[in-house]
Amino acid sequence: MKLRPEDIETVREKIRSVTALRDSDDRARITVHMGTCGVASGAQAVLDAFTAAIADSNLEGVSVMTSGCAGLCSSEPMATVELQGHPPVKYGNLDADKARRIVREHVTDGKPLDDCAIGIGSERGG
Amino acid sequence: MVTLTIDGQPVEVPEDFTVLRAAKTLGITIPTLCYNSHLKPYGGCRVCLVEVTPSGGRTGGGLVPACAYPVQEGLCIETDSERVLQARRFVVALLLASAPEAPEMQELAASVGVSAETFDKTDAVGQYLLRRAAKPPSTRCIKCGLCVRVCDEFVGMSATTFTQRGTDRKVTTPFGKISPTCIGCGACAYLCPTHAITIEPAE
Amino acid sequence: MSGSTTIMLCAGTSCTTNRCVAVREALEQELAQQGLQDSVEIVDTGCHGFCAHGPIMTVQPEGIFYQRLTASDVPRLVSEHLVKGQPVRDLMYTPPEGGPTIPKLSDIGFFGKQRLIALANRGLINPESIDEYIGRGGYDALATALTQLTPEDIVKEIKSSGLRGRGGAGFPTGLKWEFCKAAMGSPKYVICNADEGDPGAFMDRSIIESDPHAVLEGMAIGAHAIGASQGIVYLRDEYPLALQRVNIAIEQAREYGLIGENILGTGFSFDLTVNRGAGAFVCGEETSLINSLEGAMPEPRTRPPFPAQCGYNGKPTNINNVETWANIPHIIARGSAWFASIGTASSKGTKVFSIVGKLRNTGLIEVPMGTTLRDIVFDIGGGVMNGKAFKAIQTGGPSGGCLPAALLDTPVDYESLRKAGAIMGSGGLIVMDESTCMVEVARFFLSFTQGESCGKCPPCREGTRHMLNILTDITEGKGEPGDIELLEEMGAAIKETAVCGLGNTAPNPVLTTIRYFRDEYEAHINDRRCTACVCKALITYSITADMCTGCHACFKNCPTQAIVGQVKTPHEITQSKCVKCGMCKTICKFDAVRCE
Repeated sequence: MKLRPEDIETVREKIRSVTALRDSDDRARITVHMGTCGVASGAQAVLDAFTAAIADSNLEGVSVMTSGCAGLCSSEPMATVELQGHPPVKYGNLDADKARRIVREHVTDGKPLDDCAIGIGSERGG
Repeated sequence: MVTLTIDGQPVEVPEDFTVLRAAKTLGITIPTLCYNSHLKPYGGCRVCLVEVTPSGGRTGGGLVPACAYPVQEGLCIETDSERVLQARRFVVALLLASAPEAPEMQELAASVGVSAETFDKTDAVGQYLLRRAAKPPSTRCIKCGLCVRVCDEFVGMSATTFTQRGTDRKVTTPFGKISPTCIGCGACAYLCPTHAITIEPAE
Repeated sequence: MSGSTTIMLCAGTSCTTNRCVAVREALEQELAQQGLQDSVEIVDTGCHGFCAHGPIMTVQPEGIFYQRLTASDVPRLVSEHLVKGQPVRDLMYTPPEGGPTIPKLSDIGFFGKQRLIALANRGLINPESIDEYIGRGGYDALATALTQLTPEDIVKEIKSSGLRGRGGAGFPTGLKWEFCKAAMGSPKYVICNADEGDPGAFMDRSIIESDPHAVLEGMAIGAHAIGASQGIVYLRDEYPLALQRVNIAIEQAREYGLIGENILGTGFSFDLTVNRGAGAFVCGEETSLINSLEGAMPEPRTRPPFPAQCGYNGKPTNINNVETWANIPHIIARGSAWFASIGTASSKGTKVFSIVGKLRNTGLIEVPMGTTLRDIVFDIGGGVMNGKAFKAIQTGGPSGGCLPAALLDTPVDYESLRKAGAIMGSGGLIVMDESTCMVEVARFFLSFTQGESCGKCPPCREGTRHMLNILTDITEGKGEPGDIELLEEMGAAIKETAVCGLGNTAPNPVLTTIRYFRDEYEAHINDRRCTACVCKALITYSITADMCTGCHACFKNCPTQAIVGQVKTPHEITQSKCVKCGMCKTICKFDAVRCE
C-alpha cells in the first residue's frame, strides 16, 4: 500500500509494540544480534537455543527478535535482554548453554547473569 | 573563446580546446605518447604532464595531463618548470624500464634527457630504474592503449581490449584467438609507438 | 530561582525510541518563549540505565528526576518548576537505591564514549523490517524534505551542517550536491559508493546490513535536492548479507511508495537499483566506479570534467559514500545546527570507525569528530591485548599512514590526521603492537595496492611495483644503503604523477612508516635485523640450553622436524630445516626459545 505523509505516523504507532517494549503486552524481549560478525561466530545456534528454551518452558509474553551488529564484534555472539520495567542488559560471548541459563535465571527469575553480562542501559544517541 | 597563459604567454583559444592544443598554437610542443588527435584523450601515459600554477585567486592544481585538461579562463600553465621536467623524466624512466629494448622508448627517453649516462648521479630514482630495477619479461608493449582505443573509437570494431590489471595488464583479443571483428586494417600496428604489433601475411 | 540551572536529558537510544528528541525540541522552544534560554542549560547525557522510565530528565542542582516525559508535559514543567520553583510531583521519579553489579553501558569504555548518528538504530531494529525502521522515526525526514523543504533549502541545510564525505576524501557534501544540482543534463543520478575495499574496514557493510533504509532515505532526500530521478547502489559483491538486505529494503520501500513513482503522493519520482561489484578495489574511486557501471574497464577517467557535470552515461552524477548518505536523514530531521554542534571546527558530526588489530575490544564504533586516538585505543578499544606495548595505529587503509605512540593525542579530524601524514580514510583503524614489523606493514599495504592497481598509468602500475620490489628486498635482508631515500623520492614522484587516488596515495604507508619508524628500516638494511621478529630472512630461532627442560613439546610440534634432542636433555634447532614458523616459541612453557 502506497503511503501518504500522514500514514507514516500510523505505521509507527502500530509498530511501537515492537520498537518499544513497554508499549507491548510482552513481559520480556530478547534481541539476538545477527550481523555478519554474529552469524560467523554462532549467533544462529544462540537464537535457536533461546527459542527452544522459551518453548520448552512454555513461557508466555517473551518475544525473540533479531537485529544487525551490536558493535562489539569481539564479543559476539551478543544478545540484549529487556524485562518490562527494567533497563536492557547486553550479553556477550554467548553460546547455547548461556542462552538457556539466561532464559532460566534472567527472564524467568529476574536475575541478570553477572558472568556474561557486558552492561545495562542503552547506547548514546547523537 | 577563453584566454589562458602558457609559459608566461597569453593565448586565446576556443572553449573546447585542451591545454595541449592551446600550447601548439603558441608553438610550444609538449611531448606526448598515448595521445592521438583522432582519439578521445586518455591521460594514461602521463608523459604530457604540465603544471597548473596559482593565478589571480586560483590556487595551484598540481600536475595535469595537457592532452586531456580543458582550457579555462584565467588558467596559468607551466610546461617546462623544474617540477614538470622532473615528473616527465620520472615517467619516461618508468616506461623505458618497462620496455628497455624498444628503440622508440630509447629515443623518447633521450629526447627528454633520460639515459643511464645523462641521469644525474644524485637522482636515486633514475639510477635505480635504469640500473638496478629488475628487467621485465621481454615485451615491447608499454600499455599505452592506442591500439585498443583506435580499434574501439575510430575503426569501430573493438577487436582488442585490455585484460587483467596492474602489471598483469595486457592487450589481447577475445579468448586470445583471432578476433572475429578484426578487419585487418592495420591501424593498431600503425599507431603502436613501439611497434609491438606486427602484421604478418596469413597462410 | 537563583543561580543557573542545568537540565540533563538522557540521549540514549532507548529514550530516543520514546521521543526524547521531541521533548528536547519542546524544551528549547518553551525556554525561549519564557526567556529562560540563557539561565537554563540543556545538556545531553548518556544512558543511566533508567530506560524503562524514559525519556528521563534531571534538573540540577536540585537533582530532581522526571520520567516518562512527552513534549506536551514540557510547558507545565517549565512554568511550574523552572519559573515558579515548584517541582511537578506527578512527573517525578525516584531512582531505586543500590546499583546493580552489572556496570552501566555508559560507564563502559567501549560504549560510553560513542555517540550514534549513522548507527542510531544499532541493535534495535530488524534490518529486514521497514516498519521497525519507521517505528524509530524512519522516513519522517524524507516526508519533511518532500513536503516542507525546497531543493534549495535542503542543499543549504546540508551545507550548513558541515557534513564532509565519509568515504575518505572529506569533500564538503553540500557543495558537491550544489555542483550537481547546477549542472545541465537529464536524467541526473545519485550513486551510493558501497565498494568498501580497505582491508580491515567494515563500516559500510555494517550500516547496510543493519540499517539499509537509512541509506535509501538519505539517497531519496539527496535525489530530491539535486533533481535526480535515478539512484544506484554500487555494492561490492563480497558482501552477500548486505546485498540481500539492501534488496529487501528497496522492495519494501517500493511497496510503501517511499521509492518509485509519485513518492508519498508528492509528485517526486525516484527509483533505485543495485549494481554488484566484481572484485576491484579501484572501483571505490568515483570515475572507475562509473566506468564499471557503464560496462567498461574499471579505470579512472581524467578530470575535469567531474562526475557532477559529466558522470554516469555522461549525465550529472552525485556519488557519496554509504555513511555520508546515512547521516542525511538525521540532519534533515534534527537540523544542521544540531549536527554542526558536534565535532570540531572543520570536521562536524561523528565518524564511524572499524577498530581492529591488537585490541581487547574490536568492532564498530561511532565517535564525535575530535575524539583522540588515545581515547579510541585505550578507552574504547580497551587497550592492547595480552599486555603488549602499543606501537602504531594505522588509519586510512592502503591510502593512509601509521602513527606512533607519540601521536596518540591526535584528534580524529580531517586536518589533524592529514598534518600527521595519515588520512581519515573511510574509517578503518588498525592497532599494532610490539610484535608488528613496520617495514612488513608497509610491504603488505603496497602489495595490496600493487595487486589492485588498474594498470592505466606507469607511475602506479610500474612505480609501485618498483617500490614493492625494493621493500621486499629490505625484508629479505637485501636492502642497500640509500634505499630509504630512494623509497622517499620514488614515493613522492608517484604521488605527483599518478592518475587517481589509488596511485596518489599508495606510497603513504611507506612514507609514514619511514617518517615515524625509520630506525626499523635502518636495522633491516644496515644490521640485517628485524626487531619485531617477523621478517623470516632476518631472524633466527634458537633454544637456550640452560633454560630448556627437555620437555619435548617443541620436538613434537615442529612441522618440519627441525628440532633434535632427547627427552630431559636440552634441545636444539637445526637451522637448515627451520621455516621460522615460531611454533616452538609459542609452545614453550619455560621461555627457553629465543628469536632474534
